[in-house]
Amino acid sequence: MGCMRHADLFGTPRCRRAAALFALLGFLGAHPALAQHEHSSSEFEVFVAAEGLAGHGQPHPREDDPWVDADVIFGLTHGQFRVFGEYFITSEEHDLERFQMGYEVVPDTMVWLGRFHQPASAWDTEHHHGRYLQTAITRPAIENWEDEEGLIPQHITGALLESRRPLGSESGLQINGGIGAGPAVANGETEPITLVGSNPGKHGLSMTGRLAYLPEYVGNSSAGLLWGHDQLFVRNPLALAKLGSNHATLGIYGAYADWSVDAWRFIGTWYYVDVELDPPTRDESFMTGYLQVERQLPHHLTAFSRIEDSSRMQESRYVALFDDHSSDIDVMLRRQAAGLRWDYARRQALTCELSHAVSLFERATEVRVQWSAAIP
Amino acid sequence: MVSSNSVKHVAATIVLVLLLGAATRAFAAEEVVLIVSARSSIGQLDSPLVRRLFLGLTVTQHGSRLRPVLNEADAQIKELFLQNIVSMSDSTYDRYLLRLSLQQGRTQPTVYKSESELIDAVAAEPATVGYAWMRDVAHNPRVRVLRVVWHD
Repeated sequence: MGCMRHADLFGTPRCRRAAALFALLGFLGAHPALAQHEHSSSEFEVFVAAEGLAGHGQPHPREDDPWVDADVIFGLTHGQFRVFGEYFITSEEHDLERFQMGYEVVPDTMVWLGRFHQPASAWDTEHHHGRYLQTAITRPAIENWEDEEGLIPQHITGALLESRRPLGSESGLQINGGIGAGPAVANGETEPITLVGSNPGKHGLSMTGRLAYLPEYVGNSSAGLLWGHDQLFVRNPLALAKLGSNHATLGIYGAYADWSVDAWRFIGTWYYVDVELDPPTRDESFMTGYLQVERQLPHHLTAFSRIEDSSRMQESRYVALFDDHSSDIDVMLRRQAAGLRWDYARRQALTCELSHAVSLFERATEVRVQWSAAIP
Repeated sequence: MVSSNSVKHVAATIVLVLLLGAATRAFAAEEVVLIVSARSSIGQLDSPLVRRLFLGLTVTQHGSRLRPVLNEADAQIKELFLQNIVSMSDSTYDRYLLRLSLQQGRTQPTVYKSESELIDAVAAEPATVGYAWMRDVAHNPRVRVLRVVWHD
């Protein structure tokens, strides 16, 4: 019955589209012969995680803290063409997070059409929804997804350019840019265009980009500049009343570094977010950033620690829009986290993380334990 | 007349030479080589390009997209590949390939647990690049050795 009610963007009921998607996934997964074809190859990976949470100050786990989740990656390459998707499933939700059709114009330069993660988030474009490749259990609050009270739009539906060019004999330059329809503002969250559901509200233009230096063309380190421009239209009367504006234009300026030196890894990002609102509401701005340090230890252990901080967020009407005054931690101003990860088996890890967070109205101390894996 | 001591010396020398020769042959066979199909037009690939290829990035030659295949027929050749071609530990290499899959849906190289199957795959497809023990491909007319990537 629910299937009949959820006719959406492409006029196909949601359940039927999901069934078709799973049929495609099954086809890709069950046909290794496809991978052996002369010019075609396919990819199928599942990142799974299970998490336990305890603490005080935040008695109820948030939606982004499901006790179990699976992130299904599927890709099909034929010559210079590639189709690629990411389907995220939890006990609370399931969504086609990314679906991209691309053409490799020249080696290591792809032009994509579809729904993608905006390239100005160094964290999210590195880890996406899969948790296994992320050393810490939690992600920095400013990198949260839209349905986790994320302040910065992360999903765009449109066109994406991803290019990596050599710079000298060993180094490289990464140039990523995306343009398309961004999210609409509802009460308590922004809502990006979904490919498997309805899309109420007006979706404004999002433009976003990253310019990064790679000390090694095929290495793990990079550092660069981030930029984004998002027009967000308010679609909810309650949100309109809170914001005092029909729309908000975000100007995002940032810098990041993800640098590995021997057994050490440093991930740091700083954002300045400018929020333009309709007169007479005053424009506003805030800053936020984080630094995570990781150290590989003997016996497949990795210790990590992260500090997150912000400035002027508690004065922002735009930021206040994302706090529903519940007992949950919605908008985080500061957090200190530390933990230990143990890669005890091939493609399997156990992680423990202790954190203390300060939000607009709450304080919380948490202990999380997570099992994560990549299959096959 | 030849003394028995002289005979013993000559025999010992012959045995020693034979042993040394055998040892030298075994020693020379300890090489890992980069291979392509005998029908392939792929020319020389320098070390950075080979590394890039096996790290899952796009490498083309003469308009053809090269396809890497991994040889995991034995633990030693896998270890030599990690040390001499991609310069990474096993877990770092695995995570690197997983990252490429997660980020761009890039296909991971096909893994072969049998060297004969790998050689068949390389021989059958002109764009495929693999690696194998020299002793296993030296007299195989279906594959061509591009270069030595490791020798003892």
